[in-house]
Formats: sequence, C-alpha cells, structure tokens
Amino acid sequence: MMQKTLDVGGLPPFSISTDAPLWWGQFWMGIIECTLFAMMLGMYFYLRLSVDMWPLPGDQLPHLLLPTVALVPLALSMVASWWASEGAKQNRRGAMLTGLIANLLLAGVFLALRIIEWDSFNFEWKADNFGSIVWTILGLHTADIIGDMGFTLVLIVLLILGRYAEMQRLGVHVDSIVWYLLAGAWFPMYAVIYWGPALVGGT
Amino acid sequence: MTPTIDTPDEIIDPRHGTNEQHRNRLLAAWSRPGGFFGWFTATTHTAIGMRYIVTAFIFLLAGGIEALLMRTQLAFSNNTFLGPDKYNQIFTTHGTTMMFLFAVPMMEGMGIYLVPLMLGTRNVAFPRLNAFGYYLYLFGGLLLYAGLFTNTGPDVGWFAYTPLSGPQYSPGKRVDIWAQMITFTEISALCVATEIFVTVLKQRAPRMSLNRIPMFCWAMFIQSVMVTFAMPAVMIASTLMLLLDRTAATHFVNPAEGGDPLLYQHVFWFFGHPEVYIIFIPALGFVTSIVEAHTRRGIFGYPAMVLSLVGTGFVGFGLWVHHMFATGLPQLGQAFFTAASMMIAVVSGVQIFCWLATIWSGRVRLHTAMYFVLGFIFIFVLGGLTGVMLASVPLDLQVHDTFFIVAHFHYVLIGGALFPLFGAFYYWYPKMTGRLMNETLGKINFWILFIGFNLTFFPMHILGLKGMTRRIYTYPSEMGWDTANGLATLGAYIIAVGGIVFLANVFMSKKTGQIAGRNPWEAGTLEWAADSPPDPYNFEYLPVAAGRYTMWAAPEDRAVVTGMRDDRREVLVTSVMDAEPQHRYVLPTWSAWPFISALLIGIGFVGTVFRFWWYFPTAVLAGIGLIGWFWPRRPWELGR
Repeated sequence: MMQKTLDVGGLPPFSISTDAPLWWGQFWMGIIECTLFAMMLGMYFYLRLSVDMWPLPGDQLPHLLLPTVALVPLALSMVASWWASEGAKQNRRGAMLTGLIANLLLAGVFLALRIIEWDSFNFEWKADNFGSIVWTILGLHTADIIGDMGFTLVLIVLLILGRYAEMQRLGVHVDSIVWYLLAGAWFPMYAVIYWGPALVGGT
Repeated sequence: MTPTIDTPDEIIDPRHGTNEQHRNRLLAAWSRPGGFFGWFTATTHTAIGMRYIVTAFIFLLAGGIEALLMRTQLAFSNNTFLGPDKYNQIFTTHGTTMMFLFAVPMMEGMGIYLVPLMLGTRNVAFPRLNAFGYYLYLFGGLLLYAGLFTNTGPDVGWFAYTPLSGPQYSPGKRVDIWAQMITFTEISALCVATEIFVTVLKQRAPRMSLNRIPMFCWAMFIQSVMVTFAMPAVMIASTLMLLLDRTAATHFVNPAEGGDPLLYQHVFWFFGHPEVYIIFIPALGFVTSIVEAHTRRGIFGYPAMVLSLVGTGFVGFGLWVHHMFATGLPQLGQAFFTAASMMIAVVSGVQIFCWLATIWSGRVRLHTAMYFVLGFIFIFVLGGLTGVMLASVPLDLQVHDTFFIVAHFHYVLIGGALFPLFGAFYYWYPKMTGRLMNETLGKINFWILFIGFNLTFFPMHILGLKGMTRRIYTYPSEMGWDTANGLATLGAYIIAVGGIVFLANVFMSKKTGQIAGRNPWEAGTLEWAADSPPDPYNFEYLPVAAGRYTMWAAPEDRAVVTGMRDDRREVLVTSVMDAEPQHRYVLPTWSAWPFISALLIGIGFVGTVFRFWWYFPTAVLAGIGLIGWFWPRRPWELGR
C-alpha cells in the first residue's frame, strides 16, 4: 500500500508575522514581564492601604511635569518601532534602520528625562516602604528598557554590517512586540506612581 | 497489530533519494559535536529533557536522604542525632529541594522530552532557550547544596517567612543563597513554560486540531500558562522583597518603616498554591496516558477532562489565602477562600470520575504503570479529603502548623505527583531506552513504596491531631508521640528500600530488559511512532494526525508530511486552532552559547548573594552571552 502524503514543499521556510513561533515566544515573554509589573502595582496598593499617609511623612509628592513630558518621546518611539517592523516585513533596509535608530534615540530621550527626574526625588529606596516600592518599580522597568535598547542596538549594528537575512528581520519584527509591551506597560505604572499619591495621598 | 507510520522499506519521497540517504542527511543535520566539549552544545529536546529528568532524580535522592535524616532524628523522644541547627537546615533544604529542584524540573523534563514527540514535531520551538534553562537550573541546585555543605544551608523553612528570614533575625548568607537559588530555578521554569506554550500552539502535527491534542500535552500547556502567572510572584517575593531588604536595605517587610511581613506571605502563596497544581497537572497527564494505553480506549469525557484541567488552572490561583487562615485576615475573605478551596474538589472530582469511567469501560491490563495509577487514585483521594477538611477555617486553625498538615501535603504531593511519576517512568522507559522494565521487580517496587508511604505519613495525621507541631527537632517522652513517630520512621526506611528497588530495576533493565520496539503498549499517541529511543530528529517523515489517537487509526487513514528539507533543522509550523500547515521553520543548530550565557549569568547571580551592585556586572555578562547566542552565522539567507 502506498503511504499517503501531505506535501509542504511549497510552503515558505519562514514567516515574518504572527504565524512565527518566535513572535509567540516573544509575546509570551512580554506577558511574563507584564505579570511582574502588574504584581508590583498590586503591592504598591497593598502597601498604600497599610499606612495612613501616602507618601510617608517626609517624602515629597513625585513631580508631574518631566514624567508627563517624557511620555511624548516614549509614545513616538512606539511609532518608530512599528515603522521598523513594517520595514522588516517588506524587507526594506532603510525603513528598518531609520525605525530602529529613531526608536533608540527616542527611548534614550525618555530615559534621560527619567533620570533627570530621579535627581529631584527627596527619598531613597532605603528611606521607607514608599521609597522601596517606587524605586523598585522604576529600577525594574529601567533595567528592561535598557535591555531592549541593547537588543535594538545589536540589530542596528547587524543591519549596518549587512549581516542580516530572514531571521534577523524576524528579530526586528519581534523587537517591536517587546517594545510595545514594555513602553505600553509604563503608562499604567506612570499613572500609579505619579498621579496616585496626588489623588489618593493624604489621610 | 500496530503498523508503523513510516515503513522502512518503502520510498515515500523520491526527492530525498533512498531511505538511507534521507536518514543520513537528517542525522547529520541533527547531530552535535561529540566528546566532552560537545556535551555542552546539545539542544535537542530528548537530550535536554533527559538531563532534566536525571538531574531532578538525583535531587529527589538528595531530598530523600534529608527526609531520612529528619525521620531518624524524630524516631524517638529526646533524640540528639542532628541537633536544632542542623535540623533546621535539613528540613529547609528538603522542602526547597523537593519543590524547586525535584518536582517542578522533573515535570518540565518529562514535558520537554515527551511533548514534541506527542505532537509529532522534531524539537521544541526554542531549543537554545531550552538548553539555557537547564544549565541555570543546574547551577541553582549546585548553589543550594554548596551552601548546605559549607554550613550555610537555609534554615527558615521552604517558604522563608519574614520577619524570621529578614535581615534582623537571619544574619549571614543562608537566606540570600535560598533567595537567589529561587531566581535560578524560576527563570529556568519560565524558559520551559514559554517554549512548551509555543510548541503546543504552533508545532503540532498537521490536522491535530485543539480537540485532538493528547491530554498530557494539554496538561503541560495549562501548566505552562500557570507557571507564567505564578513564577513572577515568587521572584518578587524572594528576589525583590526578601533579597533587596537584605542586601539593599529596602523596607518591604520591615513594619518599622511601613513595610508588611504579611505582604510577603500573600505574594509567596500567590505563587505557592498554584505551584501545587504546576506539579500536579502534568501528573494528571501521565495518569491519562497510562490509563488510555492500559485500558485500550480513549479517555472517557475528553472535553470534560480538558475543561476540568483548565478549571484547575483557574481555581488554583484563587486559593492562596487558605495557607494564611491563621494570620487574622478579615472573615469575609476567609469565607471566600474556603469556598474557593472546596471548589477545587469539583474539578478534581470530574477528573477522578473520568478515569474511573475509562477503567470501568476499558479492557484493563495490569502492568506496573497501572498499579501506580491505582495507588495514585487511592492516596490522592485521601489527601484530597484532608484538603477539604483543611479548607474549613476552624479545623485549619486547630491543626495549623502541625503534622496533620505535613501528612496532608505529602498525601497530595507524593500521591498526586510521585506515584503518577513512577507510573510514567515504567510507561515511557521503553521509549527512552528501547527496553522494557522488569515487571516483577516493578510490582515489588510498587508494593514497597505503597506500604512504606502509608506507614510513614498516615501516623502523621494522628500526631498532628495530638498537637505535634512541624519543624520541631525533638519532643519530650511525656507527649506520647513516640509510637507514631517510630512507625513513621520505619515507613521512611521502607520507602528508601522501594527507591533502591526502583534504581536496581532501572539499571538492570537498561542492560537486560526485553527489547521494546516502537510501541510496546500498543498505545495511540504519536510518541510511539518514533524509534525507541528516538533519533535526534524524532521522525523520518513528520506524521499527520488522524484523529485523537493516530496510532489506533486505520493505516489507510494515516499520512506523513513530505517536502521538508532534510539537510537542516526544519520543523513544520501549523495554525493555532486547526493545525493547518503555515510555513516551514528553520531551528538554530547546536551551540555552546546557551551554556556560556547561563554560566556568565550564574556567576553574576552568585555575586548578588554577597553584594547588590553585582546586578550591574550581571547585566553586562548577560549581554555578552546573548549577543554571542544570537550573532548570525552563514548562510544568512534561508533560501527555499
């Protein structure tokens, strides 16, 4: 008896889309990271509820101006990331390069504004539990941002060197997924850290 | 009776030349360098899965030896065999080993080994991540035992409650080692969760739609989702709260600065309770596979079974407060968690009845694996019953932190996970080694373990009701606890004998066991279509699913996939719902970079046990490792 067969030889050997296993893997890694952030926010509210005053006496309210301004480059960086990922799908090197470089620069501006803002905090993580939770959330998110900026930088180098093909283009595409999740996760965290104490602070 | 899917003599796809040429090209594409250094480059799922299984088994033996030491100390009153400090380190290491270094990695190892075979693919979706996760787990385990052997073993219980574990009451490095060991094992667990999640969704055999996935793969999929949402909690508890409080002077658990030790308990148990199901749900998959093969019919109530597994996954996240009934939480909250805890009995009941109905209506063969399943049902139901009792707050308060709890969770975990696991060893050993295990020794093995287990843990119920608290290193003779403790210690040694019988069977059968062939149990799922042990590429031609049990389908209904390249590591990617072929996908080849990355990150993490600033070099080391890992190699273009 002849063995029945299903021929897949005509299918492409890669796909830069949501069909790619790497897309799902990167998406799921992003979900893991977002779970971490969500739990940190849960802890923030738990700690808030266990004391009368928030922030604790002696800690200033976080300023609103710089963090709010910083949202603009952050949002734009997501657009740049989208541009790079569209370039990856269509194999346009210029679009990938401009998108990734703009993404990196805008993320750098965002990070610079964040670090300038830190200088104005009058509380350290060692001060009290308000300081601990705020600094830990900021530190964790900053570490992730720097990590993804490193990933973006490596992709830029590969594109400039010309050492890229389908797998690296897929890398550019999934880099955008990570960035949407990391940058997007900042908006609720920003709302809690900067507006939360102002709105539900005192006794 | 069970013809193989890819018949060796027939040339299925002439484009590949003769069958021998096809096999040789596949073997060349899927091989790694040999020798000592070659060992560090393995990325096939069977190799990495087997390493997980062997390593986790060694940790099981270590945890077992610790249990024997504890039982020896408690054998009679006023014993001075260990002394309080050693006893504290040993019970903490025992719990930590069994939860983090044995149970979860063992289930993951079985999943890594079996899921791609059952799905009919050639490897997990991210082979290098898989290898990376294994090395991190190994380093985490070595760190814990390096601590124990230098008298720096953790001594605050496997959940390391604050404030006892905080900087004030636990100076020294014992708790820091524990906390960072968690980081190693949790990153490893999350790596495995991600790759199993994606492998099950995207790499199933064509036409293996969602309602045709083998139950074990459903179980591993649900477990992976649970790991994703549970493990971040324990990383927050151990690495962010506990370790930062200890090394960076934060105040998460310091009440003097607004911190809250109870928050640690909440976060820990938000992980800790799902953890039980993370261990238990894969075991349900083992049981289903064994029952199906040994009753020669498909599982009764497949949709009900899948839904009850999903239900367990959901409800498992709503129970954590029942570990904290003694902390004085609001009564409304306690009532909610009592109800949720009892609800888990509903979904567990569905599973038990589905197996019973399958056994009832099937043609049962009583091999050793089936003995372990029946033993599981008996022990697990007993553990479940004490679980329903403990869900009620008044009883829980009465027996909180007594040996009643110890008895309960050993009935649930050993009955619910270890017995199915031993059944799974007997069931899949022929697939992994090519030989059957000895049945007579297997049945002796079962009865010794079954009797030893009940003799060890049943008396603990009574000890708990009599008021013996857990974690005490000795007790005065007036308490009247000597007899029951003596029996429990005797039982522990009987369990040890059972373990030795099992190991003897493993090693003897490896040499002299009956040759198994591809499908010794005449089972229905696709892992039995591969050679025993499987070649590194698993299948010469990838199978196409024909119903839920392809191996039971009529030969004319089966098909194989052609058109895959055999000169590189290609797998087939299929759609999420119906598993329609979408594209081929080239997996990365062998590499030492996962090992190097894990080593560099491991060095960094060990540094963070001592100084907080080690996180900065860790980040740089991780970056070096990952860039090497992902750096493109020729040929860059995939071609066709």
